[in-house]
Amino acid sequence: MKWLELLTVAGATLVSAAIVVTLYSLGVRFTAIAADAQQASPGVKRSVAYVCFGLCGLAVCFGLYLIIPYFSK
Amino acid sequence: MVALVIALALFFDFTNGFHDTANAMATPIATGAIKPRTAVALAAVLNLVGAFLSTEVAKTVSGGIIREGSDGVQITPEIIFAGLMGAVLWNMVTWLKGLPSSSSHALFGGLIGAAVVGAGFSSVNFESLLQKVILPAVFAPVIAGLAAYVCTRLAYALTARHDPETGSKLTQKRGGFRTGQIFTSSLVALAHGTNDAQKTMGIITLVLIAAGSQAPGSGPQLWVITACALAIAIGTYAGGWRIIRTMGSGLTEVKPAQGFAAETSTASAILASSHLGFALSTTQVASGSVIGSGMGRRGTTVRWNMVGKIALGWLFTLPAAGIVGALTALLVKTGVVGVLIAAIAGTGAVLFMFFYSRKSSVSHQNAVEVEEAGQAVRFAKKKAMARARAEAKAKAQAAAKANNPKENQR
Repeated sequence: MKWLELLTVAGATLVSAAIVVTLYSLGVRFTAIAADAQQASPGVKRSVAYVCFGLCGLAVCFGLYLIIPYFSK
Repeated sequence: MVALVIALALFFDFTNGFHDTANAMATPIATGAIKPRTAVALAAVLNLVGAFLSTEVAKTVSGGIIREGSDGVQITPEIIFAGLMGAVLWNMVTWLKGLPSSSSHALFGGLIGAAVVGAGFSSVNFESLLQKVILPAVFAPVIAGLAAYVCTRLAYALTARHDPETGSKLTQKRGGFRTGQIFTSSLVALAHGTNDAQKTMGIITLVLIAAGSQAPGSGPQLWVITACALAIAIGTYAGGWRIIRTMGSGLTEVKPAQGFAAETSTASAILASSHLGFALSTTQVASGSVIGSGMGRRGTTVRWNMVGKIALGWLFTLPAAGIVGALTALLVKTGVVGVLIAAIAGTGAVLFMFFYSRKSSVSHQNAVEVEEAGQAVRFAKKKAMARARAEAKAKAQAAAKANNPKENQR
């Protein structure tokens, strides 16, 4: 029985999904803060939000890179 | 015979595509992130791309469950034909019922049934069956559901905003998740393409090898890949609206943040499992994710009787497709006449179910109802929310009965 593989799949799923969701949620949160009315430095918050979205995109791209056999040859 | 099998295999691919549109696109349609028509078109294109991206899985899919060679059964086009017949018919039945069920399990079931008739029970490798079908069927929804639960919790915790002084709730501004859903659902559609189109490619290649028109051990030919990719894309575009309705609003109410979490979990589960070699069913992963995300948000109820119905459907998938496969194999055994009878009966059954479905058609028009209901709830004030929800539900039911789209007023 392939229990080890099952565990790996479960772990990989949990970790990767959590990373993507965390980054994206932080991005959403910073966008929300930046849009608030009285805000000291909306520009900084907004750029932090974009960095989060960008990292999230990178994480997804890395996942795709791992999966598509064309790249890993 | 070979041509007949290829045609049937492509039709199976088509049903697979339209059965599984829901996996990727039910939640964004339910939250209104993407318009239904656009959603299925997007899914179709991504399935097409995904089918070309990777052909590694193609041969490993059905291998091992049926003992091949000297001590088992020789895989012949006849057996594959019978197996496919079982799979296609079961896919149509579940679609009619609006149940998301695994196309790969239907395929396995059909092949097993056909092999049992062909060579008896000894031809089925039960250990391999347990390992490749039954265990994944139990764990796929659990893994995906757990991931979706955790992610939904995370997403809500990270975006919950309170006033630092008074502690009262601020506007949550979670609209960003809706945009995110477009990307995550695209990822699911892509993953589906890399996964599910492979099965049909593998089958057709198997037939070609068995018929002696292709060298054993070689990969799928280009025209096979193209045909399969097109079949699954067209199927996806046709859209199984009945299943979309079940997944989008039958299991639980889906909000953008939940949908985002569910889709991310689905995509990572599919990609991780196909990469690490423990194949999970797309459908089961997606259903698990939706349920998990429903449990993750406070104030959401999961409709457990619907979950039960779906689970029952999963339980029946293998034996039901197997029985049809076995019957077809019996017919095919009798010779050319039997093959003709089986082909005609199969076509007749598919056509009957298609016309039967016209009686209460579910199309992109009344699947829209889901989206509008979702939006009505979204913009309603908290107190009015329960009322709006009840109204929307009643309206959806009325619309389903009257069988024509109605506008939802805010």
